[in-house]
Amino acid sequence: MKGKIVVVVGLVILSIGLVAWGGGPLRATFAWPTYIDPAVGSDFSSSSSLVNLYDSLVYPDAKGDPLPHVATAWETSDDTLIWTFHLRDDVTFHDGTPLTAEDVKYSMDRLTTIGEGYAFLFLGRLASTDVIDDYTVQFNLAQPFGPFLSTLYRLYILNKDVVEANIETPGPYGDKGDYGKGYLLVNDAGSGPYVLKEFRLEEELVMTKNPNYWIPIDVDAPDEVRFIGTTEAATVRTMMSRKELEIADQWQSQEALVALDAMEGVDIAAFSPGTAFYLMMNTRIPPTDDIHFRKAMAWATDYATVVEYIFPGAFQACGPIPQNIPGADPTVFQYYRDLDKAREELALSKYSADEYEIEFHWIAEVPDEEKVALSFMSNMADIGINIKVVKVPWMSVVEEMGAVETSPHIVSIFDSSHYPEAGSLLESRYHSNSAPTWEQNEWLLDTGLDAMLESAINTVDCAERFAKYAGLQHMITALCPTIFLFEQVEKHAYQSAYIDWPTAAGEVNPVMGYNLAARFIKVD
Amino acid sequence: MNYSRNTLLKRRAEGFKKGWYKFSRNPVSVLGLFFVLTVSFLAIFAPYVSPYPTHASRFVNFAEAGQPPSLKHLFGTDVFGRDILSRVFFGFRYSLMMGVVVLSLVVIPGVVLGLVAGYYRGTWIDTVIMRTTDIFLAVPPLILALAICSVLTPSVFNAMMAVSLMWWPWYTRLVYGLSSSLRTEFFVQAAEVTGASRSHILFREILPNCVSSIFTKMSLDMGWVILIGSALSFVGLGAQPPIPDLGTMVADGAKYLPDQWWITIFPAFAIMITVLGFNLIGDGFRDLFALEEV
Repeated sequence: MKGKIVVVVGLVILSIGLVAWGGGPLRATFAWPTYIDPAVGSDFSSSSSLVNLYDSLVYPDAKGDPLPHVATAWETSDDTLIWTFHLRDDVTFHDGTPLTAEDVKYSMDRLTTIGEGYAFLFLGRLASTDVIDDYTVQFNLAQPFGPFLSTLYRLYILNKDVVEANIETPGPYGDKGDYGKGYLLVNDAGSGPYVLKEFRLEEELVMTKNPNYWIPIDVDAPDEVRFIGTTEAATVRTMMSRKELEIADQWQSQEALVALDAMEGVDIAAFSPGTAFYLMMNTRIPPTDDIHFRKAMAWATDYATVVEYIFPGAFQACGPIPQNIPGADPTVFQYYRDLDKAREELALSKYSADEYEIEFHWIAEVPDEEKVALSFMSNMADIGINIKVVKVPWMSVVEEMGAVETSPHIVSIFDSSHYPEAGSLLESRYHSNSAPTWEQNEWLLDTGLDAMLESAINTVDCAERFAKYAGLQHMITALCPTIFLFEQVEKHAYQSAYIDWPTAAGEVNPVMGYNLAARFIKVD
Repeated sequence: MNYSRNTLLKRRAEGFKKGWYKFSRNPVSVLGLFFVLTVSFLAIFAPYVSPYPTHASRFVNFAEAGQPPSLKHLFGTDVFGRDILSRVFFGFRYSLMMGVVVLSLVVIPGVVLGLVAGYYRGTWIDTVIMRTTDIFLAVPPLILALAICSVLTPSVFNAMMAVSLMWWPWYTRLVYGLSSSLRTEFFVQAAEVTGASRSHILFREILPNCVSSIFTKMSLDMGWVILIGSALSFVGLGAQPPIPDLGTMVADGAKYLPDQWWITIFPAFAIMITVLGFNLIGDGFRDLFALEEV
């Protein structure tokens, strides 16, 4: 009897201990900066942060298809212009106040007014947002928009009262002052599974598990999540060996990955997230404004070396859209290295090979990009084109790509779709609206292309929409504004010995940022 | 006056012989000279003595990336598949060029300003020149160079300009001290009494007596300038890829330590040999000219 009591007491203590202990910390490194304002952030680290701090109406499943989330159900009008969403009534923000339709409307109005981050998904398409009742919200579209439901992954719902209470005036948004941008730079106003604990802008973001989250979170999900702003190889390696880092960033060089893989308890998760690596050429400045000059460079590029040695496991891109994104066309023309064809194109160009020095900017936080840059420099030297390789921090790249005059001849960037459809990347990469963002260095500013893009995206019928996407992919490839180098196999070193990361096990979410949703990760 | 100058020249020649004897008897100084001569030889004849001279320019061969030292590549290869030994030989060129160009640019203006300020000691000329010098000397040299380079586009040329801008005041300060004491010497006063021009007094009477100190400082500074140039390259503000600068090579290799140690260690060793060589020579020269002063 005494023995049974001891066992029972022991089990009780153990279970209390396990509950109290919860999941260990999850620490991941990222290329910085990170913007946690849903109306500002849109890159990888920002998206990964927003997924954890905020909720959206719908949530992508492993295939990228929308699942009910804050919205339990929705219906559309016959002309697909009116979308009505019914919200859960048990969702509360981090301060305990309930999430209502008014907050959804406020978040959409704020996003489209500020016009940054993911606003381009809705600008020009959304006419208005109406609150029907506390838990029903209606979006009125200006025109049919096929993938509208998927774009709502990027509408992160803000606590209207918190933002309104922290508006600073005067500001650029009239009576809305700064629309809470100053506050949301380092604070959150969300209802997500994690709550912002601390954000040191240049260093790290710390989030803690939301104990009142409306979906039960697994007890082994990390209690604390730290996103650390470094990709420096020696730091990552040291932290990994001391078990102070659970998931390393995707920007580690091949050599660093080999060293990390050799550590006990560390494995490499490799998956294809639908990301492509582009050499974006500025088509508005000489000599890359000449199509023949651009084609000459596309022919002279050694694609095989890049995918074989620099990014092993990756494969050459086939046009602007990665092949695992719905709507990608596998029949798009692929360039290959042919110096004779390169010289033929160069002969047709109005510029001679050595007339200009071409500036090639690569992202300082991604060491392997230097290898691509120097490989490209060597390739171009074979046809007499002089390349100047420039290492630029990510923050500066984003800034310089804001204007056509400051955009370099070529910049190398990874990019992926914001919702799982070809239309997302086609729009963010080539539509005139996205020209002053980091996603487009090409500055195509082609109104004909814009119209075709809008027509495709506005098509509700899926087969018809995908056919239009295919036509656009062929058209863009023919213009050769970009060297479509390869489709990325994203590689992360992670502590396989004590974390259970669904993405590493093959459950890869194709929407950027969702593979770092901490509530699905278990830490022993 | 002529008697004094001739006597001085004669004494200098005798002192030089004695100094050279002493220099050659000092194994450490000779070792420094050996290092400098070797580095200079390798730099000048890099295209001929490098096993893979094309690896110093726009060359990549990823199939041979990250090879450890072997008979084929004595210093191994970097992550771009380039032979490190060849790049070190070419790297000597940029290091020596940095030292030579910077000192060429700074010594003349620095010395002239020091001479003038020292000769006109106590006047407004002295005040203007030396207070300006003090302002430059008040800022730590590397910080000033970093600040200048970060404003300008990173390049070898801009790095040289930045280092030059911070280096001249040291020569002004050195020569100012010498010049202001020499102006009261008998041979200078004699020249003034006989109506010699100011330029004659400055450059024919005072300057020759400063040369030994300037020369010693130059030999010591050569190492420092190379080191600062490498530091600028290390932080990405100097030579840009694919230029084989030793500082850049160390910085690039640091990312792959400790596994691919050869990418960093050999260029770092090359910087050390170069700087050490010039410093040892500088010490030897100091002894040589010190003997002359006796």
